[in-house]
Amino acid sequence: MEILIFFLHGLGYAGLLFLVSAGLTLIFGMMNILNFAHAAMYMLGAYLSYSIMNHFTGQLWISLLICPVALFIIGALVQRFLLRPVHKLGHVHELLMTFGLAYIITELVQWYWGNYPLAVNVDGVLNSTVHVIGLTYPVYRIFIFLCAIVVGTLMALILYKTRLGIIIRAAVNDSEMVNALGVNVPLVFTGVFAFGTALSGFAGVIAAPLLSVFPGMAHEILIDAFVVIVVGGFGSLGGAVVASLIIGLLQSFGVLLIPQLSMALAYLLMVIVLIIKPSGLFGEESL
Amino acid sequence: MSDYFHVRDIHKDFSGMKVLTGVDFKVRKNERHAVIGPNGAGKTTLFNIMSGDLKPSSGIILYKGKDVSGKPPHILNRSGLSRSFQITNVFQQLSVFDNILSGVRSRYGLRYHFFKRPDRDHHLIEKVEALVAEVGLTDVKDQPASSLSYGQQRALEIGVTLSTEPELILLDEPTAGMTHEETVQAIKLIDKVTSGRTLIIIEHDMDVVFSLADTISVLYHGTILVSDSPEKVSNDNRVKDAYLGEG
Amino acid sequence: MKKQGNIFICMSGLILAGALMPVILSQYHLYILTEIIIFSLFAVSYNLLLGYAGLLSFGHALFFGLSGFATALAIIHFPGLTLLSTVLIGLAASIIAGFVIGALLLRHKGSYFALLTLAFSALFYAVAVKWYSVTGGDNGLNIVRPDLNLGFASISVSGLAHFYYLTLIVVGATIIFCWYFTQTAMGKTVLLMRDNEKRMQFLGYNTNFARLILFTFTGALAGLAGSFYALHFEFVSHMAVSINMTTVVLLMTFVGGTKKFWGPILGVFVYIIFQNYLSDLTDRWALIMGFIFVFMVLFVPGGLSEVIVKIQQRLFGKRNDNGVKYIASEEGNL
Repeated sequence: MEILIFFLHGLGYAGLLFLVSAGLTLIFGMMNILNFAHAAMYMLGAYLSYSIMNHFTGQLWISLLICPVALFIIGALVQRFLLRPVHKLGHVHELLMTFGLAYIITELVQWYWGNYPLAVNVDGVLNSTVHVIGLTYPVYRIFIFLCAIVVGTLMALILYKTRLGIIIRAAVNDSEMVNALGVNVPLVFTGVFAFGTALSGFAGVIAAPLLSVFPGMAHEILIDAFVVIVVGGFGSLGGAVVASLIIGLLQSFGVLLIPQLSMALAYLLMVIVLIIKPSGLFGEESL
Repeated sequence: MSDYFHVRDIHKDFSGMKVLTGVDFKVRKNERHAVIGPNGAGKTTLFNIMSGDLKPSSGIILYKGKDVSGKPPHILNRSGLSRSFQITNVFQQLSVFDNILSGVRSRYGLRYHFFKRPDRDHHLIEKVEALVAEVGLTDVKDQPASSLSYGQQRALEIGVTLSTEPELILLDEPTAGMTHEETVQAIKLIDKVTSGRTLIIIEHDMDVVFSLADTISVLYHGTILVSDSPEKVSNDNRVKDAYLGEG
Repeated sequence: MKKQGNIFICMSGLILAGALMPVILSQYHLYILTEIIIFSLFAVSYNLLLGYAGLLSFGHALFFGLSGFATALAIIHFPGLTLLSTVLIGLAASIIAGFVIGALLLRHKGSYFALLTLAFSALFYAVAVKWYSVTGGDNGLNIVRPDLNLGFASISVSGLAHFYYLTLIVVGATIIFCWYFTQTAMGKTVLLMRDNEKRMQFLGYNTNFARLILFTFTGALAGLAGSFYALHFEFVSHMAVSINMTTVVLLMTFVGGTKKFWGPILGVFVYIIFQNYLSDLTDRWALIMGFIFVFMVLFVPGGLSEVIVKIQQRLFGKRNDNGVKYIASEEGNL
């Protein structure tokens, strides 16, 4: 029975990990920008949610509505005014820009909200527990996993079943041609970046009640999300799904089996993947 | 040395699309061999496979009796094979002198040395000066490559290709985009610098091909149609059909 | 050859000034100057990756901290060791780590390289935090500087002035070697690989091998800086292997400028003086640093050294710099 608990825990964390790495891998796959500020946006989403829930106690759905919209706007502004100007200078400058942003956001958050952990509480059904085959389990962790499934499905549908998805994927392959066909490619890229940022904000709102909010939360999830996209394959949505599940479960069972080294297991997996298949499980071989 | 360079049954597909379907030809030592063919025949793919840029899907390339297919470029270069690029691919910010030096010092093993300065090595400097003179760029040897005229850039491209003192030279459309006069100059240059060496040239311009080549191989739809002397190739009906049929 | 003469005069002046510093400066300022010299080597080694090879690493502190820990552990567990042996142990640790990690990253460039270096750095950080019994966890390791044994004499470097001289000689000489390195065959190869890696391969260069050697070399340089860091502060903790430490060296290097050899050294001066004086005025100096950084990425990607070179050109006309390309274009224009 204990194993089932750890399994469910693993699924919950995997869901959260997917929500963060999906936005990261989307931005990377579409725009070839490795966004170091992604986890900082996630943290910003979580802190915003904390402040919102101070006003509307326990009402998570208000945060779930407001925060992604706010992060969408921030993401669009960042892409338009900070990333687009340095694009011509090459990827090193784009990386440096996102890194500098992450640094500033982290500093600002610590300045405004302080340097200590803050608890976020939810009310209603999300705060309850369910009974499954003799086990009592918090609904919230199951809720996280369901959110990940819904978001993942929606993203796949948009990218592969809609006209918008076709335009986005075409803009990646041949931006000049798509531009010539009358599509505003820079706007598409701004939209993709903003959407990815909104997704990280969404993940932050979801994470806040589970992990509470603290300045180190960005750093923690960033490294795990990076491991996910290395293992899954750079820019692969399917890879992000599989790798999130693997890392989530590995973390969870790692705590059960070898508590001291649970974190090292994920790195070990990453090193093994790097040696055997450097492009990741679902990555294209042409690195 | 009939088997100096032997391309044997080379196939290449790109995710299902068959570009080369069994390419076969031999190059003798000190021969000048041209590969021609209409657009889309697979010339560039073949060139990239011969130079080590691509791996063939199947088939082998024998060079001095050894299979070199799929060997990395630096290994091929060290065994005496050097290639040029169709679009000038030199170090644009470096002077002509330093461009040539980068290959010359590689040839003489000064690649990764932590203490020696290549620009202080008189032996290397002499070699570089000689090669710069050979490709006719002595007047501009201290100018950055980016400031050169198109013809000079192409000459530098050939100079850099020669800088590792190869015995087998692969030239990828060396006169592409040149005016008639520039082409005449380029032919003269190539003729001069490849004497005593083996040359494989991929070319569009028939003037170039017929004034340089000892042997011509015609690539058509991913395979070699004929490989023979220029006279025989120019009178071959299959070749005429291939070109006229495409035109 | 006039240029060589100038360099010689500059060097002699610097060495003389360096030798006189303990007389001129207060203990506090000498302490800061020693720190500046150590971080200069760290930043110069970082710039060999970033500015010269075009590789953005987020794991450079890994070698810095690893070597610092190795030196500290050697001092703690083998009390008889002399100072230089403990430094060599740190150096060996960073060389081994550089080679192994470099071999794993061999095929990766650009964003992948940045991400993977960050992940490896995070791994070392996690070990430093969790392996309490060895690394001291949050408390870190306190050490006492051992004596310097030169074979014929044993010299105590527990005093700041003595340690300053040792740092000036060892670290200073290494920085000068780094400058010389940029002029050597390997130094030029690194630069050319950044400009046109493909052509280098077709000229017989094994670029993966060259990258591995460079990565190991810069790791060793950072390691030497890390050992001296531990010896200078007589303390090392997981801070030294953290992402924050890499952030510090990245800020120093970028603010100083990646396009000139001396840019990062200037960056270290600015950063450390900033840190020591501005932190008295405001708690948010790190935030100010972040804004300066983003501003520079946007508007001054060449850093402070680029600004200085531009001002110099405006005032004195264009001058020959130490870069090959400048000399080439100058003479070509005559």
